[in-house]
Amino acid sequence: MPAGHGLRSRTRDLFARPFRKKGYIPLTTYLRTYKIGDYVDVKVNGAVHKGMPHKFYHGRTGRVWNVTKRAIGVEINKQVNGRIIRKRIHVRVEHVQPSRCTEEFRLRKAKNDQLKVDAKARGEVISTKRQPVGPKPGFMVEGATLETVTPIPYDVVNDLKGGY
Amino acid sequence: MGGFVKTQKTNAYSKRFQVKFKRRRAGKTDYRARIRLINQDKNKYNTPKYRFVVRFTNKDITAQIVSASIAGDMVLAAAYSHELPRYGLEVGLTNYSAAYCTGLLLARRVLKIRDLDQEYEGNVEATGEDFSVEPAEGRRPFRALLDVGLIRTTTGNRVFGALKGALDGGLDIPHSDKRFAGFKKDDKQLDADIHRKYIYGLHVAEYMKNLADEEPEKYQAHFSEYIKKGIEADDMEALYKKVHAAIRADPSMAKSTKMPPKEHKRYNPKKLTYEQRKASLVERLNALNSSGGADDDDEDDE
Repeated sequence: MPAGHGLRSRTRDLFARPFRKKGYIPLTTYLRTYKIGDYVDVKVNGAVHKGMPHKFYHGRTGRVWNVTKRAIGVEINKQVNGRIIRKRIHVRVEHVQPSRCTEEFRLRKAKNDQLKVDAKARGEVISTKRQPVGPKPGFMVEGATLETVTPIPYDVVNDLKGGY
Repeated sequence: MGGFVKTQKTNAYSKRFQVKFKRRRAGKTDYRARIRLINQDKNKYNTPKYRFVVRFTNKDITAQIVSASIAGDMVLAAAYSHELPRYGLEVGLTNYSAAYCTGLLLARRVLKIRDLDQEYEGNVEATGEDFSVEPAEGRRPFRALLDVGLIRTTTGNRVFGALKGALDGGLDIPHSDKRFAGFKKDDKQLDADIHRKYIYGLHVAEYMKNLADEEPEKYQAHFSEYIKKGIEADDMEALYKKVHAAIRADPSMAKSTKMPPKEHKRYNPKKLTYEQRKASLVERLNALNSSGGADDDDEDDE
């Protein structure tokens, strides 16, 4: 019999719950709120059968475009042939986690705003741009002893040591 | 049975064993029910969903209005039956009538906190009939969902006594009269008179009269506290009416004056904190370096 290409084909391990994490899922997943424009990671929870996304979307990150009673609408990029389509799917909240992809950006934004406010108070002009790491500065090598290494002539008798 | 017993739980068993949630292991939380009670519609965002939690211990009744959050459940208001002596009820603090009083107390307390107590008086005269709050013009009534916990919901359970108290107090709790004391399964109707009897403790009064006539010694033993406080079977209704009125008059919570807990002598050394352990490590390194005679002091660079 051929393999079949059903909706959940080839998901035996992908949708399986991790070791010793079976059964009821912790309640924080239900208590989280999502607003339109938030970034979320789609991660299927095999314990909840309703509102599961297709296995393609497992591990993808997208933006929330809709919020319904028990599910979130997420907009995810999918490459189809030569182009990338913005796909809109609806997923139950159990299969969604808040994404940390923008976390570093948001923190940096807040910090930069604070720096700019402080600089303005002092009357300075600062640049909050990130700089790429440059080449390391030059330095003098300290505490090095010089050891001159010269080759020694090859001694057949001693160096063969037994088997030849 | 001394000596060795062949171990049933191998190392392999323990390695693969998945423990249930902590509160499930303790037998305190029914997660199936909890998920369904807490789950709020996502398009209602941060609107809290309040649960009317009723729990019974051997000597006390706890009624709380709780909302869930990721940090933990937040209690908006709570009422205990050990507060009822303040309103004039000293005995029978875990019976159906006390449950009604506790529910009533909690309802009036919450409405006072939310400034709804003038708008929603509820059912002032407890008749035992099924009463649901009608939404007044202006603000909608305070809504909560009954959380019974792990008890078996049989007809006439004290939990529903507390529910009735809260309903008469003016809370909006979706319910049916099927489980109130006095619901006749044959007629499929609530007998309001019987329910009223339970609210005013007349079922206890009847038993008191019965025992006093037929088994005076058992009466003395069983109702000793009632006798001490001088409560007769005929006083029951008037007593509870007074308690209800007192509750409605002043439902605010009394600040409890508790002394700070006594300091006990420590018999074992106190565990160091992370910072203390790091600091002591830096000290030891500095001491080593200085005694070794090295020139650089090891300022911790992590």
